[in-house]
Amino acid sequence: MAITDLPLFSMLRTRMQWHQERQRLLAENVSNSDTQGYRPRDLTPLQFDRKTPTTTTIALERTEAGHIASSNASSSLQASRFGGYNVRASGAAVNLEDEMIKVAANQMDYQAATTLYTKSLGLIKIAIGKR
Amino acid sequence: MDFMKSIAIAASGLRAQAGRMRIISENIANADSTAQAVGGEPYRRKMATFTTEMDRALDAQLVGLGRVKTDPSDFRIKHEPGHPAADANGNVQYPNVNSLVEMTDLREAQRSYEANINVIGASRRMIQRTIEILKS
Repeated sequence: MAITDLPLFSMLRTRMQWHQERQRLLAENVSNSDTQGYRPRDLTPLQFDRKTPTTTTIALERTEAGHIASSNASSSLQASRFGGYNVRASGAAVNLEDEMIKVAANQMDYQAATTLYTKSLGLIKIAIGKR
Repeated sequence: MDFMKSIAIAASGLRAQAGRMRIISENIANADSTAQAVGGEPYRRKMATFTTEMDRALDAQLVGLGRVKTDPSDFRIKHEPGHPAADANGNVQYPNVNSLVEMTDLREAQRSYEANINVIGASRRMIQRTIEILKS
């Protein structure tokens, strides 16, 4: 089991990828702010997916047929069902101030995600007793 | 890394705005460049245009400086009979450069330049945050 298979980490990873992609689009908008006929674009916000398990109970994996089956074997850890994001056009022309606010917000949210990631890593480190 | 793409896109914006500033400064410097002899044309104002270029390697829309166009508007006419380029009526053609317009344009270019620098700074800080995960 890789560390990215944990739902918390996969969620954070999706979020960080989303911010990375958004940063690229915002950079495009800002650099094309004086291009005639250019329409600024933005990402659709990340949707909370009800199907994605947020609270998983960890079950023991049966690696051999002779093992005793655990009671809640159905809910195991799964990979994220991240299927990419859509890009939509927003507004008529580039508004530099709006783009700057978006860039700053994007940076702050990314920072929040990386801090959470660090904290989660710290939790795992406590669990394996490496502190 | 995707953040490097963001920085490359913003850098293309910086390059385009710097080129625009170059053309504006050319206009301001030549605001009084008249013709050398009678019948010649004075300096004609230049204008920068921008084009969106699709970069296949980066998979992004970069900005580039398009063709530099000349302003077709009329020249300023001044009555200076002693001027070497003056016509029979003593009128001299001066370039169609309005320094007020050029200064406003320059400010606009400067503002766009700063916006691109902001994007580079933000992307850089985001990369730094990613590296800081390793430090924990």
